[in-house]
Amino acid sequence: MKAQKLYENNDHSWIVFGRDVDKPDAIIDTNQYMVVSKNNALLMDPGGIELFSAMLSAVIKEVPAQKITHLFASHQDPDIISSLGLWDLALRDSTLHSPWLWEGFIRHFGMQNITYDGIPDEGSRLQLDDVSLEFIPAHYLHSSGNFNVYDPKAKILMSGDIGAAIEGADAPMFVEDFNAHAQKMKMFHQRWMPSNKAKNDWVHRVRQLDIDMMCPQHGRIFKGDDVKRFLDWFEALEVGLTMDKHPA
Amino acid sequence: MSNPSSNYFVATATIAAKLDYATKVAQRLSLTASNARALTLRAGQSAAGFRPLTDAIHRLSDITVSSSKKINAIAALLSKMSVEKHRADSAIRYFESAHRDLEGNRNASSLSGVYQLTKDTQAELAISYRKNLQQLAQELDAVEGELRSAVVLKTLCQVEASQAGAMYQDALDNVAENVESIASIIKEQIVFSRQQVAALQ
Repeated sequence: MKAQKLYENNDHSWIVFGRDVDKPDAIIDTNQYMVVSKNNALLMDPGGIELFSAMLSAVIKEVPAQKITHLFASHQDPDIISSLGLWDLALRDSTLHSPWLWEGFIRHFGMQNITYDGIPDEGSRLQLDDVSLEFIPAHYLHSSGNFNVYDPKAKILMSGDIGAAIEGADAPMFVEDFNAHAQKMKMFHQRWMPSNKAKNDWVHRVRQLDIDMMCPQHGRIFKGDDVKRFLDWFEALEVGLTMDKHPA
Repeated sequence: MSNPSSNYFVATATIAAKLDYATKVAQRLSLTASNARALTLRAGQSAAGFRPLTDAIHRLSDITVSSSKKINAIAALLSKMSVEKHRADSAIRYFESAHRDLEGNRNASSLSGVYQLTKDTQAELAISYRKNLQQLAQELDAVEGELRSAVVLKTLCQVEASQAGAMYQDALDNVAENVESIASIIKEQIVFSRQQVAALQ
């Protein structure tokens, strides 16, 4: 499991974990993120059971276990949070921030020690020492209860499945050629994102944020002008295209 | 299941399922006892010798139902504990692997607290698991002993049925057969469960 620092200033840092060469081939490659502040850390979309061992080692290399006081699950999918039953034994005093909608479902992964903090539909904030993080609604992109994490100081948006591409574990961490990369994102967004209305509403809200880096849960990170390129591309894309694949 | 000890949480779930089935079958014995009582009332004096036997069938039914419920509850608890133990076992393996991987890292010791807590949980679960397994074995032995009386009960019922006259003999014979057949089905589940428990001990 590779770890790479995306941002660092005097009060906090962002780290991405991913490109795990030891992961079984049949499971989708995922990016996990962590924000580390003075006394706390937030681990975002910590991944599935298959990744737990590699992720545990990777995060502890960065911070002591006691410092990971918060977890975030953008939605309920297994590649996002099926490792919860094991984190529940490793980070017993932590709090999981996740859509209120999924609490009864996510608890099926096993949660006896961690506290569940349900994020309301309109979103909320998390204060991590001197860092204020925003949980931005991204409902129906793709999950019906879904959030991104925005850090106004670092100008980073952790966008979950938005901006995702399915690639191998040897793919570069950043988008290098947007047009070429768009081909890898097209099917993912058309098939997994069900609503043009939800998509356009999200694009409209996200255009108002100041973003240097957009970090999806699969594929590559967008930097600088590629963030705007993505928003333009996504706005123009017709999503929810599955019905035409089936006979009437 | 070829090796229950290597799949203990599957084995305990299988035992729980078998004993749940035994409980349901035991409830049929209660129905048989009620039918037998109604029959002897209708048969009147001709089935006078059968009447005390209906009490014995009721007693066997009550004991079997309550024992089956009790052992089923223990088996269900064992099954739940097995899954928890499996989760703790997995977590410990992951913690140990991370510890090896983190050799020399300044944060390596930060996992020591949760490692010890999970080890403690694992040890408590192991003790409790063994205790419950032993209790389950004892309860299974006890209910098997009670079920032995079903064969005697069947013979006595057949003898009394033959005294009841042609009109009720077949029906009372049927009660006798039912008692033995139900007891035999329950015993089958108990014997299977005892073998599984023995393999887990």
